[in-house]
Amino acid sequence: MIELLSVPSLTTVQDSGRRGYQRFGVPVGGVMDEVSARLANYLVGNDDKAPLLEFALKGPTLRFNASAVFAVGGDAEVRLNGVEISPWRSYWAKRGDVLEIGILKSGFYGYVAFAGGIKCEPILGSCSTYLRANFGKALKAGEGLKLGYAILTGKAGKELPEEFIPVYAEESEIRVIPGPQEDHFTKKGIETFLNSTYEVTPESDRMGYRLEGPEIEHSEKGAEVITDAVPPGAVQVPKNGKPIIMLADGQTTGGYPKIGVVARVDIPKVAQTRPGGRLRFKAVSVEEAQERLRKREKIMEAIKGFIRGEMKAYRLKVGERVVAFTKVEKR
Amino acid sequence: MFPLFKPAGDSALAVIFGDEIDEGINEKVHAVARAMEKASPEWLIEVVPTYTSLYIYYDPLRISYSEVAGAVGPFLGTKPEKGKRRVVKIPVAYGGDFGPDIGFVAEYNGLSVDEVIEIHSKPLYRVYMLGFLPGFAYLGGMDERIATPRLEKPRLKVPAGSVGIAGKQTGWYAIESPGGWRLIGRTPLKTFDPLKTPPSIVTPGDYVKFVPIGEEEFREIYEGNRGKEDD
Repeated sequence: MIELLSVPSLTTVQDSGRRGYQRFGVPVGGVMDEVSARLANYLVGNDDKAPLLEFALKGPTLRFNASAVFAVGGDAEVRLNGVEISPWRSYWAKRGDVLEIGILKSGFYGYVAFAGGIKCEPILGSCSTYLRANFGKALKAGEGLKLGYAILTGKAGKELPEEFIPVYAEESEIRVIPGPQEDHFTKKGIETFLNSTYEVTPESDRMGYRLEGPEIEHSEKGAEVITDAVPPGAVQVPKNGKPIIMLADGQTTGGYPKIGVVARVDIPKVAQTRPGGRLRFKAVSVEEAQERLRKREKIMEAIKGFIRGEMKAYRLKVGERVVAFTKVEKR
Repeated sequence: MFPLFKPAGDSALAVIFGDEIDEGINEKVHAVARAMEKASPEWLIEVVPTYTSLYIYYDPLRISYSEVAGAVGPFLGTKPEKGKRRVVKIPVAYGGDFGPDIGFVAEYNGLSVDEVIEIHSKPLYRVYMLGFLPGFAYLGGMDERIATPRLEKPRLKVPAGSVGIAGKQTGWYAIESPGGWRLIGRTPLKTFDPLKTPPSIVTPGDYVKFVPIGEEEFREIYEGNRGKEDD
């Protein structure tokens, strides 16, 4: 069991999300940045779907009421009993230890994963907190969370190779698959969208990010469509011409035309752009987006294997970057 | 030209069956949705039927866009099953504390409160789709004689089960939320319950019949929390 001592920002339990209920109006939900969250989970020996803590900008302080193995995912200063420790590394905590997580130096969302995951009663098959429908709740100081059972031996001291520590930029290029309602925009409108820099506004949350920047011109078809499905990553453009990117808790349907949908590989980049950060958009084909996703998943698998000791990473001299993984031979 | 295929990102295919709100088009959407769910190929994650389109969410690690488009083809010929419609009866206590705006709706349309109740509870409403918030149903078929504009200033809190009118639309609030609809009544049924499968009392493609009830019956059903359903 862990006890939250201070919770300075929105902190929730999240997992990989709900599947199969969008047709009942239930969003997919889940972590905002699946890459950071999955890596944090791998470091403590969990799979992709284990529930963990997600916080925004500033992390919580918590006390361990039993020994546990944890890892912090995010660019933050982290202290265990007052001693600075590293994010992206798993540690053993014993009963009474206090973990303090500071303000994120870059990025918007951070994660704390625990070996065995956080215990919860799943709602519609998932532990994702979805506040608008009271699925779970925003965590407050004084609350206790139970951890799932896990054999802790050998799970501490795992480190992410430096090359794979996520970097959160203040300006990113985001790949977008055009459509499906690009006919609601003029050619000029689409050019504006693809050739401008947009700033993430403070009216941004788990539901979606509102962007400020040059207005996107609608065609004579106008700024409304017959209410249509809204996939995560959809870029909707309402009448004011300012794009909104729908994210984890985005509504499942909506009536604004979609100029494009962010490639899944780039959704974490969007999610980690904090208010004031900037985004530029680049049109890619659905094939290219899928190819990049497949490549990313190969790397994620290799990292998981590396942390588990099933894979070896080779560091080539060129730029000192890990470029190859091989299976560890079993004797 | 219809159905039209379009990628909606790298994990969804949008199949567009038309460009107007029409019962025939929507029936087609639901027929294909049901057929796909029934077949449930391993790459299928979920389907989201809307008024005129069907979004097919798939796993791009298992299948490519062009393969999905190919695999969907054979389902497009699925015919809506004639005469097989599920009708869900939704009991509603009209007026009073349950429907504080019913007087306004009546006055606005030059009707009596009883006439509003009669007109509202008469049709068989079609559930075109669900979305926006969990369990929120987009119903079709409300009589224009009771159409009323939304509140100028939305309420901060509308109780779950509230039945309202917004313009030419009607429906209920499945979960407590802020809202600007004119509230005319409330159903004692739990129309959305995440602990049940399926979580929503209605499924897209169903039909809804509002049944007027009194305050006493409201309490009885509310406490027993029993559903009323039949074919």
